[in-house]
Amino acid sequence: MDDPKLQKIAISGPTLASIIQRFHSSNGDVDGVLFGHVTDITASDLQDDDGPDASSSRSDSPILVATITSFFCSGTINSFYDSVGRLDLNALRRFLGDRGPGRSFIGWFVGRRRTPLRPSMRESLVTASLSNKALNLVPPDDPLSSSLNFPPCVFIVFSTPFSDRLIHTHEHRAFQFRRSAGVFEPKSVDVINIGPAFRGHYSAFSPSSPFPWLSCGSSHSEDKRSDSLNQVKRIAKEQQGLDLCAEGFEIGRLSSLMGSEAANYTSELEGLYTKMLAKLDGLAHLVEQSSARVFEQENRNVKLRLKVMTFFVVSASGGSSIEAEYCRPFSDSSLYDSAFCLSLAFCWLWSKIKHQG
Amino acid sequence: MAADTLPPLVAAQLNYLLTHSPLSVKVDQIWSGCKNPHLTDRFTLLIPFCLDYIRWDVIYNAQFPLAAPDVIFAAEDENFHPIAIDGEEEGGVHKPKSSLCDWNSKDPSRLLSLIHELRDLYISYQRKRVGELEDERLKFEISTIFSREGIEMCMSSGTDKPEEVRFSVPLLDMDLNKLVQGCPWRHQQKIYLQVIFPVTRKYSVAPSAPRVKLVSSSELKILFSVEDVKLPPWLDGMCMAEYLPTMEETLRAQVLEAVASIGVRRRFIEALAPLFGRPVEADPVFCRKATFLAASSVFTFLVHFVIPSQFPKQQPVLMLQSSQHLNTQGTPVMSPALTDYRWSPRWEASQMAERIFEFLVEECLSFKKYCNESLLQQH
Repeated sequence: MDDPKLQKIAISGPTLASIIQRFHSSNGDVDGVLFGHVTDITASDLQDDDGPDASSSRSDSPILVATITSFFCSGTINSFYDSVGRLDLNALRRFLGDRGPGRSFIGWFVGRRRTPLRPSMRESLVTASLSNKALNLVPPDDPLSSSLNFPPCVFIVFSTPFSDRLIHTHEHRAFQFRRSAGVFEPKSVDVINIGPAFRGHYSAFSPSSPFPWLSCGSSHSEDKRSDSLNQVKRIAKEQQGLDLCAEGFEIGRLSSLMGSEAANYTSELEGLYTKMLAKLDGLAHLVEQSSARVFEQENRNVKLRLKVMTFFVVSASGGSSIEAEYCRPFSDSSLYDSAFCLSLAFCWLWSKIKHQG
Repeated sequence: MAADTLPPLVAAQLNYLLTHSPLSVKVDQIWSGCKNPHLTDRFTLLIPFCLDYIRWDVIYNAQFPLAAPDVIFAAEDENFHPIAIDGEEEGGVHKPKSSLCDWNSKDPSRLLSLIHELRDLYISYQRKRVGELEDERLKFEISTIFSREGIEMCMSSGTDKPEEVRFSVPLLDMDLNKLVQGCPWRHQQKIYLQVIFPVTRKYSVAPSAPRVKLVSSSELKILFSVEDVKLPPWLDGMCMAEYLPTMEETLRAQVLEAVASIGVRRRFIEALAPLFGRPVEADPVFCRKATFLAASSVFTFLVHFVIPSQFPKQQPVLMLQSSQHLNTQGTPVMSPALTDYRWSPRWEASQMAERIFEFLVEECLSFKKYCNESLLQQH
């Protein structure tokens, strides 16, 4: 059975909140992909007394729950598909490439403001294309995807209510696309750790989410000798930076904190902490200023884009594709990177506009 | 129009759709999907289908006005998937390329072709749904009227009402717009027969008669009112293929009569002219209205003639309007509608005009009195 039915969809509170945050902070509509895993929670207790009603439901339909653990938001629309829902496999592979181990691609989402909570024409097409059997996105050696052959058929719509007077500001609805019938089945969404149903879980808590995946591991282990020279250099440089902050306070010297000379060291160390705090404060200041600049720039970009649009209509001759290149998302890079990208894009656009007269 | 705040490229496409479509597509509301609520980019279209409207939300994106729009269909049409998915075109069935495929936002006609394409697909979708019903009578009806063009049908079902199938059958294969000289209609006028069948899944010997009703485009009312047509009864065991021809014949005769009555009304207005003078205002196309200026000694007033579409069977409705008396709101004093004068449809036009003239000679005196009284009441 290659089209198994999901019983429900679970999502962790922080993941849901950060999807909503990404949607909320974007100027327009957004889409993205969802990662997670599908687990079979079919009760394994075997009954000796096979009643006629129990046997039929137990044997052939496993109870599956799709858990969404992370996501990637493109910050734009039509990011991995075109207007008729054909997939752009290169873009999709790029999105999937950085997901880390233990997370398989289980669906996608769309955030569009003030729209009905049901799949649109294009969204149906994209979802159908994604759950197409012929689609082969995941390398066959991926252990998770091969264990449960589950197509990325989860689709979540995020929207905002039409009326401004409602208390809640966002709404969402999840679906499973059933390929065999070609229909979307609405699924209930469990937000893990929210609501009274989860209270009991704390008594028997055991963390099940994996430790954040860090690509730059420790370089001290012996078997990492084969690392590229570049990485070694980079780590050396980072270590230098750290040493600069520590101002000669190596880990070894911390042992002097104990014993008779501890008093001198304590005051020195406190001085160091104060300096470090001041530096952090300065850094926070910088971040604040640059985010303000990014915000200003974004506003200016919206205005410019409108101007460009008007220009298109007035001249109607433009063979230039300012919009297409200009609107590439400045996706999940760091704050400074995106500020830099934005200013670059702005300069480039400005020169182009000037050039066109 | 609220389309002012749409991005210019989107506004151009919407305006093109509204002005160039042969269907009378309406915009229900325009709103914004952006953080900045002044940039509107989505709207609901009301698209005529099967003598009703379907509501489709067209979703553009003000941030990316060059991108093709998306459409959200009504909640009850969740199974309507108009565009084939890649790789599903098995069995050699290759659907025509959608106008969405190579979207050119600078071409204002694109939205129009998209909406028409989707509506055509919607018609066949509904036809397929009705065809799949397990109802012997409906299957028979569809097979017998298959050759008629332009038939639309749809399923209507709700939780609290029984399942029904609604047909809209365009009647009379003549161009009504061409029958009227100098006709001002932008859209093609048409008369439809709406037939509503209850869905009976079980075989029954005498299925109940469907509900039939004539519907016309709204602008046609000035020439011909379908409410005045008496439909022949639907006999037991009848089907649409039997019912339609006789019904269409009587309707055709009535429409032609209505067109001919324009000439009768025109001659009547012309016959009024020797007595009342040239009309101040007259409807030159349908000849349904004429206004003359008249005077009785120094009392000057206007006479409004409202000539019914059933003229001369029905007499004109007269209204007098004083040119010298204003009421408290500052508008001229009007008489109530006058119809209680002698009338015969068999009179010549000149005789009709004379009789009305004679009647008004008397009537204007009482109207003058009425005007003076209403003036007195004000002081």
